Amino acid sequence: MRERIFLKGDEVERRQFLVDAARSYLGVSLTTGLSVGLSGTSLGKHYDPKAKAEHVIFLNMGGGMSHLDTFDTKPKNKDIQGPVESIKTTGDFQISEYLAETAKVGKHLCVINSMTSKQGAHSQGQYLLHRSYSPRRTVVHPAIGAWVVRMKGRKNLSLPGFVTTNTSPAYASPGFLGAKYGGVPLGRPDEGLKNSSRPESVSEKDFKRRLEIADAMNRTFKESYGTREVKAYDSLYEEAVKLMESKDLVAFDIRKEPQHIRKAYGEGRFGQGCLLARRLVQAGVRFVEVSLGGWDTHYDNFTAVERQARILDQGFSTLVSDLEKRGLLENTLVVIATEFGRTPKIVEGNRNGRDHHPSAFSAVLAGGGVKGGQKFGQTDHEGARVRKDPVTIQDLNATIAFALGLDHAEVLKSPSGRPFRMGGPEKELGKPIRKIFG
Amino acid sequence: MKLPGFILLMLLCSGGSAWSQKVKLKSEAGMTKAALEVDRHVADIFRRKKLAVPKVVDDSTFLRRSFLVAIGRIPTLEEVSDYLGIDEQGKRKLLIRYLLASDGYRSHMQNYVFDLLRARDGGDRAGAFSAPYMEFIRSSVAANKRWDRFAYDLVSATGSAWEKGNGAVGYYIRDKGMPLDTMQIFTGERLECAQCHDSPTNQWERMDFFELAAFTHGQREINQGVWDKATKGYRDSGTAAFRRTEKGRWYYWLRDNIHYGTLSGQGVGRIQLPSDYQYRDGDPGEHVGGKTPFGKRIRTNDRKDTPQSRVKFAKWMTEKNPNFDYIAVNRMWARVMGSPLSEPVDEYVEANKTASPRLVKFLTRLMVDLEYDLKAFQSILLRTKTFQFAANPEAKKAGVPQGFNGRQISRMSAEQIWDSLVTLVADRPERLPKRKFSDYIYYGGRPVLVGKKTMSELSTELTAIKDPRKYRAYVEGLLKEVQKGGQNSGGNQMMMARRSRPGPSSGLARASELEAPAPDGHLLRAFGQSDRNLVEGATKESNVAQVLELMNGQVEKMVVSNEKAAVYRALTKGQSAEDQIRYIFYAILSRGPSEEEMKMAKGAVAGAQRKGYENLVSALLSTREFMFIR
Repeated sequence: MRERIFLKGDEVERRQFLVDAARSYLGVSLTTGLSVGLSGTSLGKHYDPKAKAEHVIFLNMGGGMSHLDTFDTKPKNKDIQGPVESIKTTGDFQISEYLAETAKVGKHLCVINSMTSKQGAHSQGQYLLHRSYSPRRTVVHPAIGAWVVRMKGRKNLSLPGFVTTNTSPAYASPGFLGAKYGGVPLGRPDEGLKNSSRPESVSEKDFKRRLEIADAMNRTFKESYGTREVKAYDSLYEEAVKLMESKDLVAFDIRKEPQHIRKAYGEGRFGQGCLLARRLVQAGVRFVEVSLGGWDTHYDNFTAVERQARILDQGFSTLVSDLEKRGLLENTLVVIATEFGRTPKIVEGNRNGRDHHPSAFSAVLAGGGVKGGQKFGQTDHEGARVRKDPVTIQDLNATIAFALGLDHAEVLKSPSGRPFRMGGPEKELGKPIRKIFG
Repeated sequence: MKLPGFILLMLLCSGGSAWSQKVKLKSEAGMTKAALEVDRHVADIFRRKKLAVPKVVDDSTFLRRSFLVAIGRIPTLEEVSDYLGIDEQGKRKLLIRYLLASDGYRSHMQNYVFDLLRARDGGDRAGAFSAPYMEFIRSSVAANKRWDRFAYDLVSATGSAWEKGNGAVGYYIRDKGMPLDTMQIFTGERLECAQCHDSPTNQWERMDFFELAAFTHGQREINQGVWDKATKGYRDSGTAAFRRTEKGRWYYWLRDNIHYGTLSGQGVGRIQLPSDYQYRDGDPGEHVGGKTPFGKRIRTNDRKDTPQSRVKFAKWMTEKNPNFDYIAVNRMWARVMGSPLSEPVDEYVEANKTASPRLVKFLTRLMVDLEYDLKAFQSILLRTKTFQFAANPEAKKAGVPQGFNGRQISRMSAEQIWDSLVTLVADRPERLPKRKFSDYIYYGGRPVLVGKKTMSELSTELTAIKDPRKYRAYVEGLLKEVQKGGQNSGGNQMMMARRSRPGPSSGLARASELEAPAPDGHLLRAFGQSDRNLVEGATKESNVAQVLELMNGQVEKMVVSNEKAAVYRALTKGQSAEDQIRYIFYAILSRGPSEEEMKMAKGAVAGAQRKGYENLVSALLSTREFMFIR
């Protein structure tokens, strides 16, 4: 079984090679025609045949989202709750009043209240969240998106498999898997994929000429300095040229959306990023990450959380209902995740701030085969500790793998021969939460 | 005979300056001796490990490497031809002096410190404190302030960020409520990992975190309470409504721009354990006093406040602290040699546990003797043979720490790439527009109270009033003056004020002068400039967006298709096609073309006129050789 998954990734690559070769030797573009036949669920066998997800939209709440003021409110405990009220949802749980629109799509959500971690620093916490490993000096671990592209292959061969927006390029890291599995980081969602067409002043002939000269010079350089980092750019040039020729580039252009839809998602970067994510998923991109920072609310927690939660609320709720309307929610897993939660204790000296709190926090899943309207796990009356069904970061990532039909325990080796898994190191290997799937 | 500018500058700066006579170690002879000593220790490693000593690089590689390492950009066409054109004993040493005397050193080092401190323009609250804070960092780097003093200033600062020279206050304000990044940055111990649990990856326990946090605890804004009381009556009828009134806007502006940027006192020396404290050595809610976890032991009382505990902490951190010394050494070594003495760069290791205890001991001693003069320290490293070792793609595999077995080839940082592109456009990159600072009061986007009050005076006066009624009278009196002044906007001073609004530059300027971090979508960000959320958050990993930027984006617009770009001076400077090609190679790769390359380039430009040269420039900018530092 495991063998086959291995092969599947390679298989995609091999056929891709054929497409490319056909194009360059025969002078015809086969990409579009072939990619349809090569894509989708027909490739290889699933680890779990019930798996429904083919895409992931990963919403990263950077800075440590306060669970108490969003998805794990404690209406009976005013001391730690502060001014935030709880509201009912269309699911079997309550959430914060700041998330009124999200409440309406509650029936599609699975709220996980029992996230727990030992990592209370941003840098290490975000690293762990994105890669299932803690930072080590000797290796760069791949981002989850890169794992997904490597293991599941691309669906639309003319588009990147992994795209991030509003996010540090560090979170698009291919790690040791190699540059071609890395994410394409987009600066601003409304600018789409910048520089994706040849400048008007440059003819096709000139463009080719430039590539030829550079290529010849690079060959000499690589003879003396052919490190991985140097070679990484080779595959990226191929990738870039392929992208420039893609008929599906329009997926990156959210200006093609009607005004009322753009507005519905929220006009800020996050909302527009969610809209872009939907367009990309529609076009066959496997993994899209959209970040919303600003959750590090040591200072003036309630003002800041209300502001951030309203942005999240509009973008996320519109995304879920839009995906649902288009029949995409079934095969798209939407994830809201953060590196840790925030302390129940309210620090008055910092205008009612909350500090870091990794012992207990929340995450949310929707679509991709996850049963909606449910709550998983539980914290104590203060939201300080997990009382039931603890879920680690690695468990969450293993659950993403599971939804996609991938084996989170599958071993891939780094160039130096060390074993790594999407679900984390052997000792902390995640377990998928199977119960939450329909 | 006309001397090339480069030589002229070298002669100018080789005259014995005042300090070189006073401080022997920093004299030419002293630095050379120290550099030799470093090489001697490195040679020892090669002997012990029975490794072949790497070759020393040729002039053009040395030139390019030195420029990128010391001042963060490639040399201009003139600098290349001057340097390669002279035949002079000791010209490498002279080049290093030339570079360190240039403003480019400040610019490049400033990027580094910005990244280390996650410094950003704007900040969370409308730029309240960031202007004086950024200025503090900029001017400290420009003055080459002692590194220990710089760290001490950041950690012990108190008062208002807007008081003259007091921008260091911005350090803690940048991270209200999160005081211990300091440890990673300056002492190489990651205590921030232990804030919620005993650390899973190192020896620190949660108690250590709180005992250390006790020293920096007790950070409050000055007069937060006075502001609250003064405005309470107004806010009772609804905060939002009050904010919309003219008075409300003014009050909130003062809160965000003055009070937010202040720190009262210098620590209280004790802290309460949080409600989820889970270990046997303390109870939730219990007070703990300060206790340093390593180095010299100092403590503060857990039963009563210890005023100025942050000063104690700052002293402990910077005085005779082996951690502080080694991390400064390791950081500077990595900066110059391309990789640290021990990895990761910000983790303290005892000298005896490194690959070369004697070298490490020598370097730490040197740092102390140089009185933490980072420029002099780097200057010595730049003079070593070790710095001149050829790059070795196998460096990582050789079984010795990198940096000893030839340089690890690495991609330029985002800032180096940007500044190099800027060099290909502008004549004199060091003379491009710089960031500005002034303490005029900007309210509602325009200077107000010009000639009457400065930000510094405003902050001193506002933070001194302790009676809410007097506070109200002062603030509202001032608002009337602001409103009155609106009509009268003439005068020279007003013109000056308009032009000197504090803040970064834009457009064609060096990375250090642009908004920090650059906005999303900027070339700097595509190439991995830190978003300044995490300490040293920059990355050098490759991605497709970079390639598109090189082929079709900013590089095409700013350099390749820009007729006025400095790189095209090669065309007027050279008479024949061969000369022109040679100069283009000099300008972009700091070396001339090989025979084969010349043949290829000639083919590219033959009959193609301008476009042919554009193709050549674009192609050379797309080479790995351009992007990687050898």
